[in-house]
Amino acid sequence: MATKRDDDDILTGTIPAPEDEATPAERAHAKTFADLIDKTLAGRTPPAMSADDRALLEVATVIRAASGNAELGDAKRRSLVEGALRQAIGGKAAPTGDVTPIAKARAKRAPWIVAGASLAVAAAAILLWLGAPRRVHVIDHAPAALQDNWKSRPADPLIGPIARDHAGDASARLDTIFADRLDGYRELRMRGGH
Amino acid sequence: MKLITFTVVVALAACASCTDRSDKSEPGAGSSVTHVTEPGDAIDQKLMVALSQAKNFHHKAKVYMSDGDTAAAIASVREILSLRFPPNAPEAEDVRNDARALLARLLVGQGQLDEAMNVVKEGLGSSRESFFTANLYTVKGEIHEARAQALDKSDVATDKAKAVEERHAAIESFDASNKIDKKLQDQLLEQR
Repeated sequence: MATKRDDDDILTGTIPAPEDEATPAERAHAKTFADLIDKTLAGRTPPAMSADDRALLEVATVIRAASGNAELGDAKRRSLVEGALRQAIGGKAAPTGDVTPIAKARAKRAPWIVAGASLAVAAAAILLWLGAPRRVHVIDHAPAALQDNWKSRPADPLIGPIARDHAGDASARLDTIFADRLDGYRELRMRGGH
Repeated sequence: MKLITFTVVVALAACASCTDRSDKSEPGAGSSVTHVTEPGDAIDQKLMVALSQAKNFHHKAKVYMSDGDTAAAIASVREILSLRFPPNAPEAEDVRNDARALLARLLVGQGQLDEAMNVVKEGLGSSRESFFTANLYTVKGEIHEARAQALDKSDVATDKAKAVEERHAAIESFDASNKIDKKLQDQLLEQR
């Protein structure tokens, strides 16, 4: 049922009947609103508009986004993703439209990191080479410092006279000599010698 | 890129030069190593290895002897004579002379008296007197005794005379052995 029409108040005014013809004012308003939506989609939203138009525009934007048609362009999408990733690794977000891909940035920086590290190693090596002592430090132990049991020496005091009936017991005598020399050798090793 | 390559090469060369210097740790090579010197008569690893090998050959010979395989025992004892000891190690001479004494006794048991005498004389050629050379003289006396006994079995008259000579030689050898033993014991008592 047609009632009083208020084309300037499309949100709160009376709703025209479905079969009613659109008035010239309505057509003009629709055209204006369509232009407004086109501009908004093109990124040229007018700085000022009526509250009703702004509300309608927001509704239209939401409907468009919900319908899945509000996809970003490839370049825009890539720049946003790169910016987010850059922030994630601690870098600054790149300004829109001037994004350097992370892989490319790393490829640019890696050789210089390698070169810097190599230079540091080279510098350290040269410093060590220059600073190395030129002398061999020899810690001399005077012969008197060696105890008798650390020396290679005749086995006579250890074995003593060999009785005739034990003349063939060389194996037992050698066991005695070996055990004695092993003791001395171990002591010598423990004190940091041979 | 060339700059980077050059830098890496320089770094590697510098590291290599440091490695080279550390490898050349000989006196006078400009290295910075510390050597602990020891007198040449200190017991070292070479001596211990040689003694250990000699010990093993003796034990091996004992096993062969217990099996009655005297030929293998003789071969094992001969190995001791060819062991390489550190130069001027007194133990080397002692161990070899003791092995010679055993070897000569084994050869006497096999009837190889001349070979046994050669082995003993080889040991007695060493300059230093020791209880081991005294033992060699004892074995030498035993060889003379064995020769005398062999000559006693002969019917030839000249062999009887030779047997007497061998017995005299045996007595001289035993006396030499006793003389060395006494001399060394006196020296040891004086040192104490």
